[in-house]
Amino acid sequence: MKEKKASFWKRFRERLTPDPMFHETEVQANRLGGLMLLCSGIILVLILILVETGIFPLQGAFMRAAIIRALAEITILLVVCKIFKNDTWWLKPLLIVGMVIVYALLDSMLTHKAAILMVLPVVFSSRYFSRRLTIFTSLFTTVVFLFSAIWGATHGFINLNIVTMEEGTRMVATGGFLGDAIQNVLNLDKTAGDKMLIGNTLLYDYLPKWLMFSIVSVISCNIAHRGRDLVVTQHEKDVKSARIESELDLATRIQADMLPNIYPPFPDRHEFDIYATMDPAKEVGGDFYDFFLVDKDHLCMVMADVSGKGVPAALFMMASKIILANNAMMGKSPAQILADTNAAICSNNREEMFVTVWLGILEISTGKLTAANAGHEYPILKAPDGSYEIVKDKHGFVIGAMSGAKYQEYTLDLTPGSKLFLYTDGVPEATAEGDEMFGIERTLEALNQAADLAPVDTLKAIRGAVDAFVKDAEQFDDLTMLSFEYKGKE
Amino acid sequence: MTIRMEKQADKLLLAPEGRLDTVTAPELEKTIKENLDGVTALTFDLADLEYVSSAGLRVLLSAQKAMNGQGEMKLCNVNETIMEIFEVTGFSDILTIE
Repeated sequence: MKEKKASFWKRFRERLTPDPMFHETEVQANRLGGLMLLCSGIILVLILILVETGIFPLQGAFMRAAIIRALAEITILLVVCKIFKNDTWWLKPLLIVGMVIVYALLDSMLTHKAAILMVLPVVFSSRYFSRRLTIFTSLFTTVVFLFSAIWGATHGFINLNIVTMEEGTRMVATGGFLGDAIQNVLNLDKTAGDKMLIGNTLLYDYLPKWLMFSIVSVISCNIAHRGRDLVVTQHEKDVKSARIESELDLATRIQADMLPNIYPPFPDRHEFDIYATMDPAKEVGGDFYDFFLVDKDHLCMVMADVSGKGVPAALFMMASKIILANNAMMGKSPAQILADTNAAICSNNREEMFVTVWLGILEISTGKLTAANAGHEYPILKAPDGSYEIVKDKHGFVIGAMSGAKYQEYTLDLTPGSKLFLYTDGVPEATAEGDEMFGIERTLEALNQAADLAPVDTLKAIRGAVDAFVKDAEQFDDLTMLSFEYKGKE
Repeated sequence: MTIRMEKQADKLLLAPEGRLDTVTAPELEKTIKENLDGVTALTFDLADLEYVSSAGLRVLLSAQKAMNGQGEMKLCNVNETIMEIFEVTGFSDILTIE
Protein backbone atom coordinates (compact mmCIF):
# COMPACT_ATOMS: atom_id res chain seq x y z
CA MET A 1 0.00 0.00 0.00
CA LYS A 2 2.77 2.33 0.96
CA GLU A 3 4.70 1.43 -2.17
CA LYS A 4 1.73 2.13 -4.37
CA LYS A 5 1.29 5.50 -2.75
CA ALA A 6 4.94 6.33 -3.35
CA SER A 7 4.69 5.42 -7.01
CA PHE A 8 1.58 7.58 -7.41
CA TRP A 9 3.44 10.45 -5.82
CA LYS A 10 6.38 9.85 -8.12
CA ARG A 11 4.15 9.80 -11.17
CA PHE A 12 2.45 12.97 -9.99
CA ARG A 13 5.79 14.64 -9.57
CA GLU A 14 7.06 13.46 -12.95
CA ARG A 15 3.98 14.74 -14.68
CA LEU A 16 4.35 18.16 -13.12
CA THR A 17 8.09 18.48 -13.68
CA PRO A 18 8.53 20.28 -16.99
CA ASP A 19 10.74 19.14 -19.81
CA PRO A 20 14.10 20.94 -19.48
CA MET A 21 13.26 23.11 -22.50
CA PHE A 22 10.24 24.46 -20.59
CA HIS A 23 12.09 25.10 -17.37
CA GLU A 24 12.75 28.77 -18.02
CA THR A 25 9.20 29.31 -19.25
CA GLU A 26 7.87 27.77 -16.07
CA VAL A 27 10.00 29.92 -13.79
CA GLN A 28 8.83 33.01 -15.69
CA ALA A 29 5.21 31.84 -15.39
CA ASN A 30 5.62 31.32 -11.64
CA ARG A 31 7.02 34.84 -11.39
CA LEU A 32 4.01 36.15 -13.33
CA GLY A 33 1.70 34.30 -10.93
CA GLY A 34 3.42 35.98 -8.01
CA LEU A 35 3.04 39.34 -9.72
CA MET A 36 -0.68 38.73 -10.32
CA LEU A 37 -1.19 37.85 -6.66
CA LEU A 38 0.78 40.89 -5.54
CA CYS A 39 -1.40 43.16 -7.71
CA SER A 40 -4.54 41.48 -6.37
CA GLY A 41 -3.25 42.03 -2.84
CA ILE A 42 -2.68 45.74 -3.49
CA ILE A 43 -6.19 46.10 -4.95
CA LEU A 44 -7.64 44.30 -1.91
CA VAL A 45 -5.85 46.66 0.46
CA LEU A 46 -7.28 49.61 -1.49
CA ILE A 47 -10.80 48.13 -1.29
CA LEU A 48 -10.33 47.56 2.42
CA ILE A 49 -9.36 51.19 2.89
CA LEU A 50 -12.36 52.35 0.83
CA VAL A 51 -14.68 50.15 2.86
CA GLU A 52 -13.23 51.31 6.16
CA THR A 53 -13.55 54.97 5.19
CA GLY A 54 -17.13 54.35 4.13
CA ILE A 55 -16.63 55.32 0.47
CA PHE A 56 -17.63 51.81 -0.59
CA PRO A 57 -21.17 51.08 0.68
CA LEU A 58 -20.49 47.48 1.67
CA GLN A 59 -21.27 45.45 4.73
CA GLY A 60 -18.08 46.26 6.61
CA ALA A 61 -17.53 43.36 8.99
CA PHE A 62 -18.25 40.69 6.42
CA MET A 63 -16.00 42.26 3.77
CA ARG A 64 -13.23 42.83 6.24
CA ALA A 65 -13.10 39.19 7.22
CA ALA A 66 -13.07 37.98 3.61
CA ILE A 67 -10.44 40.46 2.49
CA ILE A 68 -8.17 39.67 5.40
CA ARG A 69 -8.52 35.95 4.68
CA ALA A 70 -7.63 36.52 1.01
CA LEU A 71 -4.71 38.77 1.94
CA ALA A 72 -3.36 36.13 4.31
CA GLU A 73 -3.51 33.49 1.60
CA ILE A 74 -1.81 35.77 -0.93
CA THR A 75 0.95 36.56 1.54
CA ILE A 76 1.62 32.87 2.16
CA LEU A 77 1.79 32.15 -1.57
CA LEU A 78 4.10 35.09 -2.19
CA VAL A 79 6.42 34.05 0.63
CA VAL A 80 6.57 30.49 -0.72
CA CYS A 81 7.38 31.82 -4.22
CA LYS A 82 10.13 33.99 -2.76
CA ILE A 83 11.64 31.20 -0.64
CA PHE A 84 11.83 28.79 -3.56
CA LYS A 85 12.82 31.52 -6.00
CA ASN A 86 9.90 30.66 -8.29
CA ASP A 87 11.74 27.50 -9.13
CA THR A 88 10.27 24.29 -7.78
CA TRP A 89 8.02 21.78 -9.45
CA TRP A 90 5.02 22.04 -7.06
CA LEU A 91 4.73 25.82 -7.30
CA LYS A 92 2.67 25.53 -10.47
CA PRO A 93 -0.22 23.53 -8.95
CA LEU A 94 0.03 25.52 -5.72
CA LEU A 95 -0.26 28.84 -7.52
CA ILE A 96 -3.14 27.70 -9.72
CA VAL A 97 -5.13 26.17 -6.85
CA GLY A 98 -4.29 29.06 -4.51
CA MET A 99 -5.26 31.62 -7.11
CA VAL A 100 -8.60 29.92 -7.85
CA ILE A 101 -9.40 29.84 -4.12
CA VAL A 102 -8.41 33.47 -3.49
CA TYR A 103 -10.48 34.71 -6.40
CA ALA A 104 -13.41 32.43 -5.50
CA LEU A 105 -13.33 33.86 -1.99
CA LEU A 106 -13.53 37.38 -3.39
CA ASP A 107 -16.17 36.27 -5.86
CA SER A 108 -18.32 34.90 -3.03
CA MET A 109 -18.64 38.36 -1.53
CA LEU A 110 -18.48 40.60 -4.61
CA THR A 111 -20.59 38.12 -6.69
CA HIS A 112 -21.76 39.81 -9.89
CA LYS A 113 -19.69 42.94 -9.20
CA ALA A 114 -16.48 41.17 -10.14
CA ALA A 115 -17.42 38.62 -12.77
CA ILE A 116 -13.98 38.94 -14.33
CA LEU A 117 -12.33 37.22 -11.34
CA MET A 118 -13.40 33.86 -12.70
CA VAL A 119 -11.28 34.10 -15.87
CA LEU A 120 -8.03 35.20 -14.22
CA PRO A 121 -6.66 31.77 -13.19
CA VAL A 122 -7.43 30.12 -16.52
CA VAL A 123 -5.83 32.96 -18.50
CA PHE A 124 -2.81 32.76 -16.22
CA SER A 125 -2.54 28.97 -16.63
CA SER A 126 -2.06 29.36 -20.40
CA ARG A 127 1.31 30.93 -19.64
CA TYR A 128 2.60 27.46 -18.68
CA PHE A 129 2.07 26.35 -22.29
CA SER A 130 0.34 23.15 -21.25
CA ARG A 131 -3.13 22.50 -22.61
CA ARG A 132 -3.73 19.83 -20.00
CA LEU A 133 -3.01 22.26 -17.16
CA THR A 134 -5.35 24.85 -18.68
CA ILE A 135 -8.15 22.29 -19.00
CA PHE A 136 -7.60 21.25 -15.38
CA THR A 137 -7.67 24.90 -14.28
CA SER A 138 -10.85 25.47 -16.24
CA LEU A 139 -12.65 22.49 -14.64
CA PHE A 140 -11.36 23.30 -11.16
CA THR A 141 -12.47 26.92 -11.53
CA THR A 142 -15.93 25.75 -12.68
CA VAL A 143 -16.39 23.67 -9.53
CA VAL A 144 -14.92 26.08 -7.00
CA PHE A 145 -16.80 29.05 -8.42
CA LEU A 146 -20.01 27.03 -8.34
CA PHE A 147 -19.58 26.74 -4.57
CA SER A 148 -18.65 30.40 -4.27
CA ALA A 149 -21.77 31.30 -6.25
CA ILE A 150 -23.96 29.26 -3.88
CA TRP A 151 -22.30 30.76 -0.85
CA GLY A 152 -22.33 34.24 -2.35
CA ALA A 153 -26.05 34.02 -3.16
CA THR A 154 -26.93 34.15 0.53
CA HIS A 155 -23.87 35.79 2.04
CA GLY A 156 -22.35 38.01 -0.62
CA PHE A 157 -23.21 41.15 -2.46
CA ILE A 158 -26.77 40.57 -3.54
CA ASN A 159 -27.76 40.99 -7.16
CA LEU A 160 -31.12 42.69 -7.09
CA ASN A 161 -31.71 41.79 -10.72
CA ILE A 162 -32.30 38.18 -9.78
CA VAL A 163 -35.03 38.99 -7.30
CA THR A 164 -38.53 39.35 -8.70
CA MET A 165 -40.56 41.92 -6.80
CA GLU A 166 -43.89 43.49 -7.25
CA GLU A 167 -43.88 46.91 -8.85
CA GLY A 168 -43.70 49.70 -6.36
CA THR A 169 -42.09 47.60 -3.62
CA ARG A 170 -40.11 49.75 -1.20
CA MET A 171 -37.15 48.43 0.68
CA VAL A 172 -35.76 49.84 3.85
CA ALA A 173 -32.19 49.09 4.91
CA THR A 174 -32.23 47.57 8.36
CA GLY A 175 -28.52 47.27 8.98
CA GLY A 176 -28.55 43.49 8.54
CA PHE A 177 -27.94 41.44 5.40
CA LEU A 178 -29.69 42.71 2.34
CA GLY A 179 -30.83 39.17 1.63
CA ASP A 180 -32.80 39.17 4.87
CA ALA A 181 -34.48 42.39 3.87
CA ILE A 182 -35.56 40.89 0.55
CA GLN A 183 -36.88 37.81 2.31
CA ASN A 184 -38.93 40.03 4.53
CA VAL A 185 -40.31 41.95 1.61
CA LEU A 186 -41.22 38.77 -0.25
CA ASN A 187 -42.62 37.17 2.87
CA LEU A 188 -40.48 34.04 2.59
CA ASP A 189 -39.04 32.00 5.44
CA LYS A 190 -35.28 31.58 5.70
CA THR A 191 -34.98 28.21 3.88
CA ALA A 192 -37.37 29.07 1.07
CA GLY A 193 -35.67 32.47 0.67
CA ASP A 194 -32.19 30.97 0.44
CA LYS A 195 -33.45 28.40 -2.05
CA MET A 196 -34.94 31.09 -4.23
CA LEU A 197 -31.77 33.20 -4.10
CA ILE A 198 -29.46 30.25 -4.84
CA GLY A 199 -31.63 28.94 -7.65
CA ASN A 200 -31.93 32.32 -9.31
CA THR A 201 -28.23 33.09 -8.85
CA LEU A 202 -27.21 29.84 -10.52
CA LEU A 203 -29.61 30.32 -13.39
CA TYR A 204 -29.30 34.05 -14.06
CA ASP A 205 -25.83 34.78 -12.79
CA TYR A 206 -23.57 31.75 -12.72
CA LEU A 207 -24.74 30.14 -15.97
CA PRO A 208 -24.20 33.13 -18.29
CA LYS A 209 -20.93 33.86 -16.50
CA TRP A 210 -19.82 30.26 -17.00
CA LEU A 211 -20.72 30.35 -20.71
CA MET A 212 -18.51 33.37 -21.21
CA PHE A 213 -15.88 31.74 -19.08
CA SER A 214 -15.91 28.67 -21.32
CA ILE A 215 -15.07 30.85 -24.34
CA VAL A 216 -12.08 32.29 -22.47
CA SER A 217 -11.09 28.72 -21.52
CA VAL A 218 -11.08 27.59 -25.13
CA ILE A 219 -8.99 30.60 -26.15
CA SER A 220 -6.57 29.96 -23.26
CA CYS A 221 -6.22 26.32 -24.30
CA ASN A 222 -5.35 27.46 -27.79
CA ILE A 223 -2.79 29.98 -26.49
CA ALA A 224 -1.22 27.29 -24.30
CA HIS A 225 -1.00 24.88 -27.20
CA ARG A 226 0.41 27.43 -29.61
CA GLY A 227 2.88 28.63 -26.98
CA ARG A 228 4.10 25.07 -26.54
CA ASP A 229 4.61 24.75 -30.31
CA LEU A 230 6.61 27.97 -30.38
CA VAL A 231 8.86 26.91 -27.51
CA VAL A 232 9.49 23.52 -29.13
CA THR A 233 10.25 25.10 -32.52
CA GLN A 234 12.57 27.63 -30.93
CA HIS A 235 14.33 24.86 -29.05
CA GLU A 236 14.85 22.90 -32.27
CA LYS A 237 16.27 26.01 -33.91
CA ASP A 238 18.63 26.54 -30.99
CA VAL A 239 19.87 22.97 -31.23
CA LYS A 240 20.38 23.37 -34.97
CA SER A 241 22.25 26.65 -34.68
CA ALA A 242 24.45 25.20 -31.94
CA ARG A 243 25.31 22.36 -34.30
CA ILE A 244 26.10 24.77 -37.14
CA GLU A 245 28.27 26.76 -34.78
CA SER A 246 30.28 23.73 -33.73
CA GLU A 247 30.63 22.66 -37.36
CA LEU A 248 31.84 26.13 -38.28
CA ASP A 249 34.30 25.97 -35.43
CA LEU A 250 35.68 22.70 -36.78
CA ALA A 251 35.72 24.15 -40.32
CA THR A 252 37.79 27.08 -39.05
CA ARG A 253 40.38 24.70 -37.65
CA ILE A 254 40.42 22.55 -40.79
CA GLN A 255 40.94 25.65 -42.90
CA ALA A 256 43.73 26.91 -40.67
CA ASP A 257 45.40 23.51 -40.87
CA MET A 258 45.29 23.62 -44.67
CA LEU A 259 47.72 26.54 -44.63
CA PRO A 260 51.34 26.04 -43.65
CA ASN A 261 51.38 27.19 -40.03
CA ILE A 262 54.27 25.42 -38.36
CA TYR A 263 57.29 27.65 -37.96
CA PRO A 264 60.02 27.44 -38.98
CA PRO A 265 58.58 25.59 -41.98
CA PHE A 266 61.93 24.54 -43.40
CA PRO A 267 64.25 24.19 -40.40
CA ASP A 268 67.24 23.12 -42.49
CA ARG A 269 66.99 25.95 -45.00
CA HIS A 270 68.84 29.07 -43.93
CA GLU A 271 68.76 30.98 -47.23
CA PHE A 272 65.44 32.57 -46.42
CA ASP A 273 62.95 33.31 -43.66
CA ILE A 274 59.21 33.29 -44.18
CA TYR A 275 56.15 33.97 -42.03
CA ALA A 276 52.46 34.32 -42.85
CA THR A 277 49.13 34.77 -41.06
CA MET A 278 45.46 34.63 -41.96
CA ASP A 279 42.69 36.16 -39.80
CA PRO A 280 39.27 35.56 -41.30
CA ALA A 281 36.57 38.20 -40.68
CA LYS A 282 34.00 35.44 -40.19
CA GLU A 283 34.61 31.95 -38.84
CA VAL A 284 36.04 30.86 -42.15
CA GLY A 285 37.46 33.07 -44.84
CA GLY A 286 38.26 33.27 -48.51
CA ASP A 287 41.85 34.50 -48.24
CA PHE A 288 44.76 32.16 -48.33
CA TYR A 289 48.51 32.08 -48.54
CA ASP A 290 50.70 29.13 -49.35
CA PHE A 291 54.38 28.36 -49.67
CA PHE A 292 56.17 25.13 -50.44
CA LEU A 293 59.32 23.84 -52.08
CA VAL A 294 58.73 22.69 -55.66
CA ASP A 295 62.20 21.15 -55.64
CA LYS A 296 65.40 21.73 -53.68
CA ASP A 297 66.09 25.03 -55.41
CA HIS A 298 62.61 26.43 -55.99
CA LEU A 299 60.27 27.96 -53.43
CA CYS A 300 56.70 28.71 -54.52
CA MET A 301 54.79 31.48 -52.71
CA VAL A 302 51.09 32.20 -53.16
CA MET A 303 48.82 34.99 -51.90
CA ALA A 304 45.17 34.79 -52.90
CA ASP A 305 41.74 36.26 -52.18
CA VAL A 306 38.42 34.65 -53.13
CA SER A 307 35.43 36.85 -53.94
CA GLY A 308 33.06 37.16 -51.00
CA LYS A 309 33.45 35.86 -47.47
CA GLY A 310 32.34 33.08 -45.16
CA VAL A 311 31.54 29.49 -46.05
CA PRO A 312 31.06 29.92 -49.84
CA ALA A 313 34.42 31.68 -50.12
CA ALA A 314 36.08 29.07 -47.89
CA LEU A 315 34.88 26.17 -50.05
CA PHE A 316 36.10 27.90 -53.19
CA MET A 317 39.38 28.75 -51.47
CA MET A 318 40.04 25.09 -50.64
CA ALA A 319 39.57 24.02 -54.26
CA SER A 320 41.68 26.92 -55.60
CA LYS A 321 44.52 26.25 -53.21
CA ILE A 322 44.75 22.57 -54.12
CA ILE A 323 44.54 23.15 -57.89
CA LEU A 324 47.23 25.87 -57.68
CA ALA A 325 49.57 23.72 -55.61
CA ASN A 326 49.09 20.68 -57.87
CA ASN A 327 49.89 22.74 -60.96
CA ALA A 328 52.91 24.29 -59.28
CA MET A 329 54.30 20.94 -58.17
CA MET A 330 54.37 19.84 -61.81
CA GLY A 331 57.18 22.32 -62.32
CA LYS A 332 55.26 24.73 -64.57
CA SER A 333 56.06 28.44 -64.89
CA PRO A 334 53.94 30.91 -62.85
CA ALA A 335 52.00 32.16 -65.91
CA GLN A 336 51.28 28.60 -66.95
CA ILE A 337 50.18 27.64 -63.42
CA LEU A 338 47.68 30.53 -63.36
CA ALA A 339 46.40 29.80 -66.87
CA ASP A 340 45.91 26.10 -66.14
CA THR A 341 44.28 26.79 -62.77
CA ASN A 342 41.94 29.25 -64.49
CA ALA A 343 41.04 26.64 -67.10
CA ALA A 344 40.34 24.02 -64.42
CA ILE A 345 38.13 26.37 -62.35
CA CYS A 346 36.31 27.86 -65.34
CA SER A 347 35.33 24.41 -66.58
CA ASN A 348 32.62 24.26 -63.93
CA ASN A 349 31.93 27.50 -62.12
CA ARG A 350 28.28 28.36 -62.47
CA GLU A 351 28.27 30.52 -59.34
CA GLU A 352 30.80 32.82 -61.01
CA MET A 353 33.11 32.85 -58.03
CA PHE A 354 36.63 34.03 -58.72
CA VAL A 355 39.95 34.33 -56.97
CA THR A 356 42.76 36.86 -57.26
CA VAL A 357 46.20 35.27 -57.07
CA TRP A 358 49.76 36.45 -56.88
CA LEU A 359 52.13 33.54 -57.42
CA GLY A 360 55.89 33.65 -57.43
CA ILE A 361 58.60 31.01 -57.73
CA LEU A 362 62.00 31.84 -56.30
CA GLU A 363 65.18 30.22 -57.49
CA ILE A 364 66.79 30.00 -54.09
CA SER A 365 70.39 29.73 -55.28
CA THR A 366 70.28 32.88 -57.42
CA GLY A 367 67.51 34.98 -55.84
CA LYS A 368 65.64 35.22 -59.13
CA LEU A 369 61.93 35.52 -58.47
CA THR A 370 59.55 34.77 -61.35
CA ALA A 371 56.00 35.87 -60.70
CA ALA A 372 52.58 36.35 -62.29
CA ASN A 373 49.59 38.27 -61.03
CA ALA A 374 45.95 37.37 -61.63
CA GLY A 375 44.13 40.48 -60.45
CA HIS A 376 45.76 40.54 -57.02
CA GLU A 377 47.15 43.47 -55.03
CA TYR A 378 50.60 44.79 -55.95
CA PRO A 379 53.44 43.07 -54.08
CA ILE A 380 55.66 45.26 -51.92
CA LEU A 381 59.42 44.84 -52.17
CA LYS A 382 62.31 46.19 -50.16
CA ALA A 383 65.85 46.23 -51.57
CA PRO A 384 68.59 45.48 -48.98
CA ASP A 385 69.50 49.16 -48.49
CA GLY A 386 66.27 50.75 -49.68
CA SER A 387 62.78 51.15 -48.34
CA TYR A 388 59.59 49.16 -48.99
CA GLU A 389 58.07 50.06 -52.35
CA ILE A 390 55.13 48.91 -54.40
CA VAL A 391 55.98 46.80 -57.46
CA LYS A 392 53.48 47.89 -60.12
CA ASP A 393 53.43 44.59 -61.90
CA LYS A 394 51.48 43.67 -65.01
CA HIS A 395 48.05 42.44 -64.04
CA GLY A 396 46.09 39.65 -65.63
CA PHE A 397 42.39 39.00 -65.03
CA VAL A 398 41.15 37.26 -61.92
CA ILE A 399 41.06 33.44 -61.98
CA GLY A 400 37.77 31.67 -62.59
CA ALA A 401 35.96 34.50 -64.38
CA MET A 402 36.86 34.00 -68.01
CA SER A 403 38.06 30.86 -69.71
CA GLY A 404 41.17 31.15 -71.86
CA ALA A 405 42.70 34.00 -69.83
CA LYS A 406 46.44 34.46 -70.37
CA TYR A 407 48.93 35.71 -67.82
CA GLN A 408 52.23 37.52 -68.14
CA GLU A 409 55.33 36.76 -66.16
CA TYR A 410 57.94 39.09 -64.81
CA THR A 411 61.10 38.61 -62.80
CA LEU A 412 62.49 40.36 -59.75
CA ASP A 413 66.06 39.89 -58.60
CA LEU A 414 66.32 39.44 -54.88
CA THR A 415 69.70 40.04 -53.27
CA PRO A 416 70.61 38.99 -49.73
CA GLY A 417 68.66 41.31 -47.41
CA SER A 418 65.72 41.79 -49.81
CA LYS A 419 62.29 41.59 -48.25
CA LEU A 420 58.96 40.88 -49.86
CA PHE A 421 55.55 41.68 -48.37
CA LEU A 422 52.41 40.06 -49.79
CA TYR A 423 48.90 40.81 -48.56
CA THR A 424 45.23 40.77 -49.46
CA ASP A 425 42.95 43.80 -49.74
CA GLY A 426 41.95 43.28 -46.11
CA VAL A 427 45.10 45.21 -45.12
CA PRO A 428 44.79 48.47 -47.14
CA GLU A 429 41.00 48.30 -46.91
CA ALA A 430 40.85 47.78 -43.15
CA THR A 431 38.24 50.37 -42.25
CA ALA A 432 37.98 52.54 -39.17
CA GLU A 433 34.83 54.09 -37.76
CA GLY A 434 33.64 56.65 -40.31
CA ASP A 435 34.59 54.60 -43.39
CA GLU A 436 38.20 55.74 -43.58
CA MET A 437 40.50 53.06 -44.95
CA PHE A 438 43.98 52.13 -43.76
CA GLY A 439 45.24 52.59 -47.32
CA ILE A 440 48.42 51.63 -49.10
CA GLU A 441 50.32 54.73 -47.85
CA ARG A 442 49.84 53.78 -44.21
CA THR A 443 50.77 50.19 -45.06
CA LEU A 444 54.07 51.35 -46.58
CA GLU A 445 54.70 53.68 -43.65
CA ALA A 446 54.15 50.86 -41.14
CA LEU A 447 56.38 48.54 -43.16
CA ASN A 448 59.21 51.04 -43.32
CA GLN A 449 59.03 51.60 -39.58
CA ALA A 450 59.46 47.84 -39.24
CA ALA A 451 62.12 47.64 -41.97
CA ASP A 452 64.74 45.97 -39.80
CA LEU A 453 62.51 43.35 -38.28
CA ALA A 454 62.40 39.65 -39.09
CA PRO A 455 59.28 38.40 -40.94
CA VAL A 456 57.42 37.26 -37.81
CA ASP A 457 57.89 40.64 -36.12
CA THR A 458 57.14 42.54 -39.33
CA LEU A 459 53.68 40.98 -39.47
CA LYS A 460 53.09 41.69 -35.77
CA ALA A 461 54.02 45.34 -36.35
CA ILE A 462 51.67 45.68 -39.35
CA ARG A 463 48.86 43.99 -37.48
CA GLY A 464 49.49 46.36 -34.57
CA ALA A 465 49.35 49.37 -36.91
CA VAL A 466 46.10 48.15 -38.50
CA ASP A 467 44.52 47.50 -35.09
CA ALA A 468 45.57 50.91 -33.81
CA PHE A 469 43.98 52.47 -36.90
CA VAL A 470 40.63 50.68 -36.94
CA LYS A 471 40.32 50.77 -33.13
CA ASP A 472 36.96 49.30 -32.12
CA ALA A 473 35.46 48.96 -35.60
CA GLU A 474 34.51 45.41 -36.47
CA GLN A 475 36.99 43.55 -38.68
CA PHE A 476 35.20 43.57 -42.00
CA ASP A 477 37.44 41.66 -44.37
CA ASP A 478 39.81 38.75 -44.02
CA LEU A 479 43.30 39.95 -43.08
CA THR A 480 46.10 37.92 -44.62
CA MET A 481 49.80 38.76 -44.89
CA LEU A 482 53.05 37.09 -45.81
CA SER A 483 56.51 38.40 -45.10
CA PHE A 484 59.58 36.96 -46.78
CA GLU A 485 63.24 37.73 -46.28
CA TYR A 486 65.93 36.54 -48.71
CA LYS A 487 69.25 35.83 -47.03
CA GLY A 488 71.07 34.08 -49.86
CA LYS A 489 73.92 31.65 -49.39
CA GLU A 490 75.67 31.96 -46.08
CA MET B 1 23.08 51.08 -50.05
CA THR B 2 20.45 52.57 -52.35
CA ILE B 3 20.14 51.70 -56.02
CA ARG B 4 18.69 54.25 -58.40
CA MET B 5 17.03 52.59 -61.38
CA GLU B 6 15.71 53.94 -64.68
CA LYS B 7 14.14 51.57 -67.14
CA GLN B 8 12.97 52.50 -70.65
CA ALA B 9 11.88 49.67 -72.93
CA ASP B 10 15.12 47.76 -73.59
CA LYS B 11 17.40 50.24 -71.79
CA LEU B 12 18.27 49.84 -68.12
CA LEU B 13 20.28 52.26 -66.01
CA LEU B 14 21.43 51.31 -62.52
CA ALA B 15 23.17 53.68 -60.15
CA PRO B 16 24.30 52.02 -56.92
CA GLU B 17 25.26 54.46 -54.18
CA GLY B 18 27.59 53.91 -51.23
CA ARG B 19 29.58 50.73 -50.68
CA LEU B 20 29.18 47.66 -52.86
CA ASP B 21 30.47 44.85 -50.64
CA THR B 22 29.52 41.43 -49.26
CA VAL B 23 26.56 42.92 -47.40
CA THR B 24 25.12 45.00 -50.23
CA ALA B 25 26.15 43.00 -53.32
CA PRO B 26 23.23 40.50 -53.06
CA GLU B 27 20.78 43.44 -53.24
CA LEU B 28 22.29 44.66 -56.52
CA GLU B 29 22.44 41.11 -57.84
CA LYS B 30 18.73 40.69 -57.13
CA THR B 31 17.83 44.01 -58.77
CA ILE B 32 19.78 43.05 -61.90
CA LYS B 33 18.27 39.57 -62.07
CA GLU B 34 14.72 40.90 -61.76
CA ASN B 35 15.06 43.58 -64.41
CA LEU B 36 17.37 42.14 -67.04
CA ASP B 37 14.75 40.40 -69.18
CA GLY B 38 14.75 41.84 -72.68
CA VAL B 39 17.34 44.53 -71.87
CA THR B 40 19.85 45.17 -74.65
CA ALA B 41 21.64 48.17 -73.16
CA LEU B 42 22.66 48.04 -69.53
CA THR B 43 24.43 51.06 -68.04
CA PHE B 44 25.90 51.40 -64.58
CA ASP B 45 26.30 54.93 -63.33
CA LEU B 46 28.98 54.66 -60.64
CA ALA B 47 29.23 58.36 -59.80
CA ASP B 48 28.09 57.84 -56.20
CA LEU B 49 29.79 54.51 -55.59
CA GLU B 50 32.46 54.78 -52.91
CA TYR B 51 33.87 51.28 -52.82
CA VAL B 52 33.68 47.93 -54.59
CA SER B 53 34.76 44.71 -52.89
CA SER B 54 35.37 41.38 -54.58
CA ALA B 55 31.76 40.37 -53.89
CA GLY B 56 30.68 43.50 -55.79
CA LEU B 57 33.03 42.69 -58.66
CA ARG B 58 31.41 39.27 -58.87
CA VAL B 59 28.00 40.89 -59.43
CA LEU B 60 29.41 43.12 -62.18
CA LEU B 61 31.03 40.06 -63.76
CA SER B 62 27.73 38.14 -63.70
CA ALA B 63 25.98 41.09 -65.31
CA GLN B 64 28.66 41.37 -67.98
CA LYS B 65 28.34 37.68 -68.78
CA ALA B 66 24.57 37.88 -68.97
CA MET B 67 24.77 40.93 -71.24
CA ASN B 68 27.32 39.25 -73.54
CA GLY B 69 24.45 37.08 -74.66
CA GLN B 70 21.80 39.75 -75.11
CA GLY B 71 23.31 43.15 -75.75
CA GLU B 72 25.81 45.63 -74.37
CA MET B 73 26.88 46.71 -70.93
CA LYS B 74 28.85 49.81 -70.04
CA LEU B 75 29.98 51.67 -66.96
CA CYS B 76 30.09 55.43 -66.71
CA ASN B 77 31.26 58.04 -64.20
CA VAL B 78 33.81 55.65 -62.72
CA ASN B 79 35.79 57.52 -60.09
CA GLU B 80 39.48 57.13 -59.34
CA THR B 81 39.17 54.75 -56.39
CA ILE B 82 36.89 52.38 -58.25
CA MET B 83 39.01 52.60 -61.42
CA GLU B 84 42.06 51.53 -59.44
CA ILE B 85 40.20 48.47 -58.18
CA PHE B 86 39.16 47.59 -61.75
CA GLU B 87 42.75 47.96 -62.95
CA VAL B 88 44.34 45.92 -60.19
CA THR B 89 41.90 43.06 -60.63
CA GLY B 90 42.08 43.14 -64.43
CA PHE B 91 38.38 43.98 -64.67
CA SER B 92 39.24 47.07 -66.73
CA ASP B 93 40.13 44.71 -69.60
CA ILE B 94 36.75 43.02 -69.79
CA LEU B 95 34.41 45.87 -68.87
CA THR B 96 33.44 48.74 -71.16
CA ILE B 97 34.29 51.85 -69.17
CA GLU B 98 33.42 55.30 -70.47
